[in-house]
Amino acid sequence: MSPAFAIARREGGELLTSPRGLAWLLAAAFAFTGFALLLVGSTQLGLLDNAQVVYDMAGMTIALGALLTAVMGVDAVAGDRERGALLPLLATAAPRRAILLGKLGGQALAWLAMVALALPYLWAVGSTGQNLGAALVGLVLLGTPVALAIGAGAMALGARLRSARAALLSALIGLMLVASPLAIGPSLRQSALGRGFDAVNPFSGAVNALDAMVIDGQALAAQGWHLALVFGWLALAYGLALRALHAPRRPGEEIVS
Amino acid sequence: MIRRTILAAGALAALFALAPPPARAADGAAPAPLEVTLAPDAANPPAPRMGDRLTYHAVIRNPSPTAEASGVVAWLTILRVDAGHEQAIDLEDWSANKALTIPALGPGGSARSDWSLRLIAPGTYRVLVSAATRDAPVPAIGTGAIFSIAPKPVVESARVLPVALGVPAALALLLVARLFAGRRGAAPEA
Repeated sequence: MSPAFAIARREGGELLTSPRGLAWLLAAAFAFTGFALLLVGSTQLGLLDNAQVVYDMAGMTIALGALLTAVMGVDAVAGDRERGALLPLLATAAPRRAILLGKLGGQALAWLAMVALALPYLWAVGSTGQNLGAALVGLVLLGTPVALAIGAGAMALGARLRSARAALLSALIGLMLVASPLAIGPSLRQSALGRGFDAVNPFSGAVNALDAMVIDGQALAAQGWHLALVFGWLALAYGLALRALHAPRRPGEEIVS
Repeated sequence: MIRRTILAAGALAALFALAPPPARAADGAAPAPLEVTLAPDAANPPAPRMGDRLTYHAVIRNPSPTAEASGVVAWLTILRVDAGHEQAIDLEDWSANKALTIPALGPGGSARSDWSLRLIAPGTYRVLVSAATRDAPVPAIGTGAIFSIAPKPVVESARVLPVALGVPAALALLLVARLFAGRRGAAPEA
């Protein structure tokens, strides 16, 4: 078994089988349930178009998945370092690229668990089902790189910053910033600043593509720029994480010093 | 709903019972009934769907050249006119402005009011605005054109509730089972 696969299985399995991981999924389920109950409990929200509700639920899934990978990313490096588990891992013969890929693989499993958790909710709110396919394709093709880019960015922060707490705080603040398009609708982002932010923000890329596919019924092929944006950020975050795992924070200082 | 109707009827009855004697025109004739005209807003969607908003503008006019119309109450009514489903609609979710009172309308005077509707259910409807005074025995009614509300797919509670309650319950059971299994596994052997 390759080191990357073994690490991915351990990290992902920890989430899916440990009580702590199940508690996280339960908390995410409560968030989905709260949103779903809001929809059926309010006449105004209940009149939202079916496609709009599916889009909202898909955006919420990406946000929750990104939150999960951000926490896992910080924990995978800074948490392991504070528990004394990182040094033995780095001391093995496994190349750091394989270690990084393994930890990202664990986050990918967690993200897939989040998508699986969201599926029944998407089915429930998408009454007629005509938008479900587009939402699922969008979640997998656009949500996955966003969640993994945030996870990789969190790993880079975990490697660069001295304490896990500082890394976690920085990662969560960064996540709130990039996920702000969920709270600020497209019509409110039409200023030059809003458009500029949308043009470079991977989260905006994902939700704007979901908007176009789920609500406007556009084809995936028309989302080339959004796909390039989210995969570009994934490549950048991967490079930063790999560099942070390799390079010392300061001259003469190792990542686990 | 029934209690609200009784209360509204009681309030109207009290309004009419406590009212001063009918105002008479200078020539002693009974006051002329009000006139109500109702027109849709130009910005209303031509083919409305559930969730859209419609606005109607009503003008309530006192045509009498001499008598004042006092204690004017105007209210909105929505009638569903689909064959087999004819009914007056409870305005609970449809409109926040259900009734309007005007203390007095001078001779020849008029008042304008806007009525906003949120389209809640599909079907064919007619909007009416009625206006009554203390003195006029029959309310004046202004009617809008019949319009149809097209359905659109919205969230169905019957599908959402089992999922919204079932998924957390299943995960909670799984968590409890996992905790229980972990405790049993960790228990020292006798």
